Amino acid sequence: MADLAELERMIAVALPGAEVEVLDEGGRDHLRARVAASQFEGLSRLEQHRLVRSAVRERFEDGSIHALSIETATPSR
Amino acid sequence: MAADPQLKQKVQELIAENPVLLFMKGTPETPRCGFSMRVVGVLEQLGVDYGAVDVLPALGPLREVTTEISDWQTFPQLYANGELVGGCDIVEEMLDSGELAEVLGVDQPTEVEPPEPQRILPGGPQQSPPMQLG
Repeated sequence: MADLAELERMIAVALPGAEVEVLDEGGRDHLRARVAASQFEGLSRLEQHRLVRSAVRERFEDGSIHALSIETATPSR
Repeated sequence: MAADPQLKQKVQELIAENPVLLFMKGTPETPRCGFSMRVVGVLEQLGVDYGAVDVLPALGPLREVTTEISDWQTFPQLYANGELVGGCDIVEEMLDSGELAEVLGVDQPTEVEPPEPQRILPGGPQQSPPMQLG
């Protein structure tokens, strides 16, 4: 079971200024993260997802997240 | 913790030997995780030949290996031409955009293309109800 607010904070700390939303898709361990960050500009989707995953890596390792779907975007101007 | 060097070498060999390789939970015939099953579905839809490795018997050690090789910890992981393509989200997005067919060197299947807009029925004058006689 993950603490959604904590995950949002972890992502926001890794990507300052990002808009972050973490949603529960079932059982509090299948989650979806929606992240819009200017840091994503110029990066491949793989690199964007890596940044989000690495921000919450500890929660994968301790088993509180089983699956994390990620949607990334650059902020609309 | 550092990855087991022998296992890492084995994984690197598999990635090098298989133009398309899927690390998944379970097997293509019996997937043990919905996300792995979805990536199998995508590959079947594209009709591409691929190798598959069931990660469940050695999940922890394999996670350490892929972290070192590709900086990626979760499964499924799809590799093409020696490089990580991504997990389920990325693979599905790339299927829809046609990028995946390009990366895998196959034709985009027609059923993935956006469906044709429904034909609007010609809007002729509505038939008037039959007249009531008498």
